[in-house]
Amino acid sequence: MSSALSLAHEPVTGIRHGKLGMWIFLASEVMFFSGFFTAFIILRNTNLPVFAHGASELNWQLAALNTVNLIVSSLTMAMAILSLEHGNKSRFQLYMGITFLCACGFLVIKYIEYTTKFSHGIYPGTSSFFGLYFTMTGFHAMHVIGGMIPIGWMLAKSFTKRGYRDWERVEILGLYWHFVDLVWIFLFPILYLIF
Amino acid sequence: MSASMSAEEMQKSYLKIFGALMFFTLLTIIAAKFVHFPESWGSVSTMLHVTIGLIIAVAKAWMVVYVFMHIKFDNPYIRVFIYVPLFLFSVLVFALTVLGGPTL
Repeated sequence: MSSALSLAHEPVTGIRHGKLGMWIFLASEVMFFSGFFTAFIILRNTNLPVFAHGASELNWQLAALNTVNLIVSSLTMAMAILSLEHGNKSRFQLYMGITFLCACGFLVIKYIEYTTKFSHGIYPGTSSFFGLYFTMTGFHAMHVIGGMIPIGWMLAKSFTKRGYRDWERVEILGLYWHFVDLVWIFLFPILYLIF
Repeated sequence: MSASMSAEEMQKSYLKIFGALMFFTLLTIIAAKFVHFPESWGSVSTMLHVTIGLIIAVAKAWMVVYVFMHIKFDNPYIRVFIYVPLFLFSVLVFALTVLGGPTL
């Protein structure tokens, strides 16, 4: 445990405030995405042909590649935390760098998917399926971008003279990053596979 | 966090979960795209595909939470924050298997 973040400040729960705050935020995120999933479930179950046709237009191979992207980035994020905790700076930079690159790769593939849809004349207003597809994957992609900002910041900071040693903050960021992976774990089969 | 576990042990469990996630991803793709049930089964076939896809997704989600998000190693107090919403969500998604009755 680093001295700056002593547990003495959290006598009731014994959990650092930063981590507790992140977990509460993630619980609210579950609710945020549950709204979309509920809309998806109700609209799909009552308009099955529309959804089956919509899903058949999607490129599941690209989505599968993105699934691998996020799983790899989740592993490297976990490894980055472990490396920094044990003071291995170069390993931290390597793993954090891979995490960042995987996130970039995810967005590039998402961009290809979106522009292909647009070029085929498919937009969010095309059908209830595509409305939900663009909303859900769009919000998910925004979460990826939101994660890349602190990942990039911590990575950049570790290259400065002072370096970056606060592994507990990286651990909290890691919780968020794994949650982004978690959302995709559900989006992938529901949007691309089950029809 | 990892007071009771060495870095090597942690790394080992991360790699194990990583392998399992990759395996289940492959499994869910094979089940959805390359396994075909007889056409006479009709909507039962769709229901089976949905059920298999969801069981695998829920399993993957719990693996990520348990190991990558350190629930396994962390203060048990945290569990309530994720177990309750994730359990409710895991139940919610199975509403996708209900394909409804005759359309009005």
